[in-house]
Amino acid sequence: MLFTLASGIFFLFTKHHLLDTQRDTLRYESEIIKSKLRVLHQSNTIPLLYPKHDMIDSMIFDKDKHYIFGTLAKTSWEESQSHPNRLYYMAKVEPYYLGAGYVLTSQMIDYDVITDLKKNIFLFMLGAGIFFSILAYYLGHLFIAPMRDSIKQMNHFIQDTTHELNTPISTILTNIELIETFGKHEANHLELKRIEIASKTLSRIYDDLTYLNLNHQYHRNIITLNMSTFVEERILYFTGMIEAKNLTIRTDIEENIIRQIDKNDAMRLVDNLISNAIKYNKHHGVLEITLTKMSLIVKDTGIGIDEKDLAVILHRFKRANKSEGGFGIGLDIVNQVIQSYGYILKIKSKIDKGTEVEIKWKK
Amino acid sequence: MEKIIIWILLGFSLGFAETHLLLNPSLENDCLQCHQNQQIPSNLIYKRYLMQYSTEKAIEKAMFNYLTHPLISNSIMPPQFFLKFPMKEKSMVADEVLKVNIKAYIKHFDVKQYLRIQK
Repeated sequence: MLFTLASGIFFLFTKHHLLDTQRDTLRYESEIIKSKLRVLHQSNTIPLLYPKHDMIDSMIFDKDKHYIFGTLAKTSWEESQSHPNRLYYMAKVEPYYLGAGYVLTSQMIDYDVITDLKKNIFLFMLGAGIFFSILAYYLGHLFIAPMRDSIKQMNHFIQDTTHELNTPISTILTNIELIETFGKHEANHLELKRIEIASKTLSRIYDDLTYLNLNHQYHRNIITLNMSTFVEERILYFTGMIEAKNLTIRTDIEENIIRQIDKNDAMRLVDNLISNAIKYNKHHGVLEITLTKMSLIVKDTGIGIDEKDLAVILHRFKRANKSEGGFGIGLDIVNQVIQSYGYILKIKSKIDKGTEVEIKWKK
Repeated sequence: MEKIIIWILLGFSLGFAETHLLLNPSLENDCLQCHQNQQIPSNLIYKRYLMQYSTEKAIEKAMFNYLTHPLISNSIMPPQFFLKFPMKEKSMVADEVLKVNIKAYIKHFDVKQYLRIQK
């Protein structure tokens, strides 16, 4: 609308300017005629040759506006200026050479330039329309993209949550049913183990989600934590899952590694690294956990992460491989913890060889 | 050949008629004869009137005024003109005749008849 209005105003201004330019030509020709009238008035030669222009017609009128002579046929003052497609310019003559009080010059309006102007404005409007449509489309996409991504993430999150909760709950229910069916006896050991693993999985999911949700409001209780015993405890916690996947665990844990850290943060950090290493490991693979004064290293012989995914693997809801369950929040939580404490995270990975995650305690 | 002769005669007749018409006898006797004798430039005088008054009516009025009251202040010519040429005496011609003569004078010297469009 604004462009149409602006173009309309521009057209009117330019049209007037073009007409003024043509009118200037008439004014200039009037001056020439006035000059020639003076020469003719003083001339004694006969006939008196009235000037003629190829494009411009002219007439002279006396001071009472009666036709004297001109390149157009004799006409009244009013009629001489009534043609709608002609442009007129009237100039006074003084003194009245040859009795002329007025010189009226006239020419056909040059509509070609006005047509060209219309064409150019139309092309400009068309170009601007296309440009702004593309711009609007691009900006629309740009502004809507984050919202669309959020909705997409939300949908994925709901799907993943459903799936993640479904597996351990089904395992628990199935195994409880087995125990109920066959009665409680020594052979239930396997079913109970499965129930334990599934319950721990549920517990971990709950802890992760709570941590993620309450992270900003969470009050950290920093304590002096013996990381050596703590890591060993967490390995013990995951024993069931490690055995279920027939993993060989190799640990190299230095004694009495002390860190000033909130216990819950430490748990989220270690649990997520071990959990990932188990989850993405191959059956009968190896899980290596090394704890030194300098760092904690968790290494697996699993599916690995593609090099292009390494840069974004820390983003929330990002999963390099969707073959396994999960929300893609594990490494996001790890990243939040290490940022809170100023640790450094390094991930090395090769497809089908495995992944090594190192957390350096100090910069 | 006969046609050519007829056309030539016709042309002469029309030419004579026009000259006769323009040179109104009254104008010639009452005005131009004297002008010619005294070598007063009638054409120049008319052009001064034309340049000053533009319209036929205004010229007629100014001429009539001068002819009936011949004073330097009423004349179209500059005062120096009368150093060389004598001041006209008051016209004794009747006003009506004078007006006719003025019209004839204007018609005789009217520039419109000499104007042509340049080729």
